[in-house]
Amino acid sequence: MNKRITSLAQACSWLAVLTTVGVILLFLGFLGWRGIDTINSALFFGNTPPWEAITGRLPVWHGIWPACVGTLALVLLSSLLAIPLGLASGIYLCQYASGPWKRWFSLAVELLAGIPSIIMGLFGFALILFLKKSVAPQANTGLLLSAGCLALLVLPYLILLTQTTLEALPHELRLAGLSLGFTPWQNMIHVLLPAAGRGILSGVVLAVGRAAEDTAVILLTGVVANAGLPSGLFDKYEALPFHIFFLAAEARSDAELAQGFGAALILLMLTAALFLGAYYLKSTFTKTWDQKDLMI
Amino acid sequence: MGPKRPDDLELAVVVEDLHVSFAGREVLHNLSAEFHRGQLAVILGRSGSGKTTFLRAFNRLNECFPRSETRGSLKLKLQGEWRDIYRDNVPLTELRRRVGMVFQTPHLLPVSIADNLALPVKLVLGLPRRDIASRVAWALEEAHLYKEVKDRLDAPGHTLSGGQQQRLCLARLLALDPEILLLDEPTASLDFRAALKVEELLLSLKERYTIIAVSHSLSQARRLADKALIFRDGSVVQQLSREDLQISDTSQVLLEEIF
Repeated sequence: MNKRITSLAQACSWLAVLTTVGVILLFLGFLGWRGIDTINSALFFGNTPPWEAITGRLPVWHGIWPACVGTLALVLLSSLLAIPLGLASGIYLCQYASGPWKRWFSLAVELLAGIPSIIMGLFGFALILFLKKSVAPQANTGLLLSAGCLALLVLPYLILLTQTTLEALPHELRLAGLSLGFTPWQNMIHVLLPAAGRGILSGVVLAVGRAAEDTAVILLTGVVANAGLPSGLFDKYEALPFHIFFLAAEARSDAELAQGFGAALILLMLTAALFLGAYYLKSTFTKTWDQKDLMI
Repeated sequence: MGPKRPDDLELAVVVEDLHVSFAGREVLHNLSAEFHRGQLAVILGRSGSGKTTFLRAFNRLNECFPRSETRGSLKLKLQGEWRDIYRDNVPLTELRRRVGMVFQTPHLLPVSIADNLALPVKLVLGLPRRDIASRVAWALEEAHLYKEVKDRLDAPGHTLSGGQQQRLCLARLLALDPEILLLDEPTASLDFRAALKVEELLLSLKERYTIIAVSHSLSQARRLADKALIFRDGSVVQQLSREDLQISDTSQVLLEEIF
């Protein structure tokens, strides 16, 4: 009887894994089939000569280059805002907070994690309206506002993963440094944070991926279909997810729809490149640490 | 030359009326004891009798556990000066560097063999970079480990065997120039041969340091101890000299009483 249940459970697990992998392959295959042919210099730059487009000397009208640059700028800016804040909050929650403070802060972080991205976009939009009517009549939606709202959106992933990874480190590791006379700060910087590097990195990767693909937040806070390369922190910009959404909804020809599939493939590759970059950063950051022996 | 009598030895630690509790539950009560420099004292007792808590009182490591409270006095002679670590303002970093601790299982930092020593030397002692390598080599030599690891100093610490890891932990303490060594069942996780090596090392070190070791084995205490303190329910119930420990009748009574 027991044996039968075990083999049934095993079969179910295999089925689950195969389904997941199958769906991903199907999805990638479909995207590739529809999009791979469109990936050429015209997809990126339209009729503009590439070099002129890359250097920004000539505007790009029918290409996704400005949207790629916009998405990269958005991801970098929101990471710059969210990563230091998220790490610091996670360290605080793990190391220093206690009692009711810890409960209240954790509750706040969980609430933040539960907020849908469209609400975050509305919040940014309302903020601009408020600023317009009060202290800054010239305020408008733009790159910085979107990055700020995206940072708020991804902050909970960073905080929770930093906190849980640090808390999951073995107590002995904590004691080892302290018993040698390290200050709590030295222990955090030289022992605990590097040991928690892998978990924290997965928080960063999640955050970056989420910031790169989110459409709802930027829809209300400054993205437009045609803006050219982003020219400043307070200016409108283009972004890949919005571009894909726009093409999918309003394509006027098969060629435009195909460009949408191409853009989706490029967005996937861009996110993959960002992940690889994050892994590379981690390996230089923790190169003296023996990864396979870390107990996480 | 026979073993030194306690009268010839320099007093290094005086514990008076020590009480330690966690979350209101008292683990050590009314504990008093003395330890001498150049002697190896072994603490014996059942598990749960407060041995480890007692050791952790010396470097104030009990404070890393939730809701701990310590009362009483614990005076250490550090750098030739008597300091009550719970009353005088002894900086924690200084205290923990002078009072080193080895745990039951090796608590390595997850870095290379050399960095396990170099990191504390750099952070705690603040030695200039050019002096660190020689300090590391010296400490490894002191811990009888240099020959075994000199060709793989950059390998991860965890690639060493259990006994080597425990000696690496000892080397790490020695590099910080301590005066008191606390050893919490340092051979508990080792096989017989590795344990003997650690014991040999301790015997070679005891002339220069005050060593307080917790042990679970009476035979180990007989091999190592200049004196033994028997713990029961958080207090010392008996003190034995080296000679007392060698008498088999005493040992028999002890065995029945505490184990």
